[in-house]
Amino acid sequence: MKINEGFELRTVCDENVIVAYGRKNIDFSKVISLNESAAYLWNAVADKDFTCQELADLLCKEYEVDAQTALNDVKQMVASWKELGLVSD
Amino acid sequence: MNALKTIVRSLLRLLLTPFRFFNKHRNGIAPSEVRHELPNDAFLGLVSEKLAEGHTAVIWVKGYSMRPFIEFGRDKVKLSSATSYHVGDAVLAEIAKGHYVLHRIIKIEGDRITLQGDGNVRGVEHCTMADVRGMVTEYIRPNRILLADDEGLKRNIRLWRRLYPIRRYLLFIYKAVI
Repeated sequence: MKINEGFELRTVCDENVIVAYGRKNIDFSKVISLNESAAYLWNAVADKDFTCQELADLLCKEYEVDAQTALNDVKQMVASWKELGLVSD
Repeated sequence: MNALKTIVRSLLRLLLTPFRFFNKHRNGIAPSEVRHELPNDAFLGLVSEKLAEGHTAVIWVKGYSMRPFIEFGRDKVKLSSATSYHVGDAVLAEIAKGHYVLHRIIKIEGDRITLQGDGNVRGVEHCTMADVRGMVTEYIRPNRILLADDEGLKRNIRLWRRLYPIRRYLLFIYKAVI
């Protein structure tokens, strides 16, 4: 799967917010913000195809977390990204 | 003096209760969302950048300085950049480095612009044309969207400006209704 065209991750002070630049109007009244680990994963796969397993491996490399927890968390996160239209297969 | 103000305000609220009933705020936040505030300078810097790239931007408005036309916690505005700005336009301007205001242009002298919030009784700001990042093109209220070039709205804005000598008292009443 891949991150959809038209989304960029911007850091505003300490917040990582997703800005949808694909359309003329940008709705800043409802922003999606990512926590630190989600932002780390987003940046790591911003311009390429990825799988949940790859994201889980990245998490394990960067943070102290066991493989199964990492995979579960990644699957949950990716599901919400898909629901928000950020990612498609 | 404060006691007197409180008494008058309470009386007004009582008298104007029917109007207040229909005027409830709604801030459009769904149960799954949280209200989150970003610091003005960084956030509006990002908004300005996108406006300069040709996007339009919808933002919540913070503060009371644009009452009664824009109400904090209730209204959003759509911003667009333009090639020129005029007296009466509500604009986003960077009046000092990193310091933004969303106020109305009340005077233009050549390149120098004077701004004032609709809800401000004293205090104006100055900047140049180049400091203006965009203007309000839509006032987005819970129940309707008002276009900035709506004739009725423009008339009300002009009227509000003419009533500047008694603005303080009008705002006092407005706050009681709100």
